[in-house]
Amino acid sequence: MPAGDKWVDRNAGPVVRPYALTGGRTRPASGTVLDLITVIVASSLVLGPDDSLGLSPEHRRILGLCRGPATVADVASTTALPLGVVRVLVADLIGQGRVTVLAARPAGEEPSTAMLKEVLNGLRAL
Amino acid sequence: MGSAPSDGSAGVPLAAFKVLVAGGFGAGKTTLVGAISEVRPLHTEEALTRASVGTDDLTGVGNKTTTTVAMDFGRLTMGTHLVLYLFGTPGQERFWFMWDELSFGALGAVVLADTRRLGDCFPSVDYFEKRQLPFIVAINCFDGAPHYDPEDVRIALDLDPRVPAVLCDARHRDSVKQVLITLVEHVLASRIKNGAGAAAARSGSQALRPKPPKGSHARPKSGAPQPELG
Repeated sequence: MPAGDKWVDRNAGPVVRPYALTGGRTRPASGTVLDLITVIVASSLVLGPDDSLGLSPEHRRILGLCRGPATVADVASTTALPLGVVRVLVADLIGQGRVTVLAARPAGEEPSTAMLKEVLNGLRAL
Repeated sequence: MGSAPSDGSAGVPLAAFKVLVAGGFGAGKTTLVGAISEVRPLHTEEALTRASVGTDDLTGVGNKTTTTVAMDFGRLTMGTHLVLYLFGTPGQERFWFMWDELSFGALGAVVLADTRRLGDCFPSVDYFEKRQLPFIVAINCFDGAPHYDPEDVRIALDLDPRVPAVLCDARHRDSVKQVLITLVEHVLASRIKNGAGAAAARSGSQALRPKPPKGSHARPKSGAPQPELG
């Protein structure tokens, strides 16, 4: 390293290239790209403490965050992992049956009028 | 409520909605999101496109093929199961790949306008019109900025008469709440007025103006001389 180079601090981001965490994969194994607000939850399939032995620390962390319903954006934000990486890892967990998609509506579909009215009432009650 | 399937492991199904907050650099997008919701960071790692060549300084990182976009989003929980996500759209044109992603299935958008640099929100207005995503224009009343009648702003932006233009103070929760209420009311109203084919009827605004040639904007680009107000 040239003498002029400074040490990087936390703000410089991860030292490991992000897609090293996915084994170089940039696309989810399923081919389906999860929307930012897709709601996911850890499925009840997850059994004893040995169940997650084959998983990477990042997979396990995501699994822990999905004990209750969470969105892909929530998971990416809490783990501070890039969105693309989180999508690949979540798709792995979905493929293994460890995580289930709890979509209130298909990704990309506009919210229904009934849902919009609920949002309106929710906003007014704030 | 929608028909969220429950597999038994979740309690109340969560219904999540996306709202985009667009506008020029410094228009107050982050302030608006932060005034009403818990703000959280989001990172994306995207392939460098031709658009960013010459914009990103690649000196010393010649092999770099991805770029990181850091953005904030707000999470607003209403009641037990409704969550509204507010995404501030990254302003620069080279981040427009994120806009497509963000507007996918979104409830609608708020275009935040700064009357000192009104031209900055032309690209956002054009984008949402083309995508046929319902939007409203919120005019951020900055201290020291000249105050205009929303109708003048509407004319300057060449807005469809049905698109609401409202004054707001992005720093105040109640004002931002009113902006969001106006947006949802607008989305609902355009559906009722247009019947089931909401998207089809919404495109009516396109007919008022010649279709812009591909890859350009009907309005002058940001940075171009501003239209006169008032």
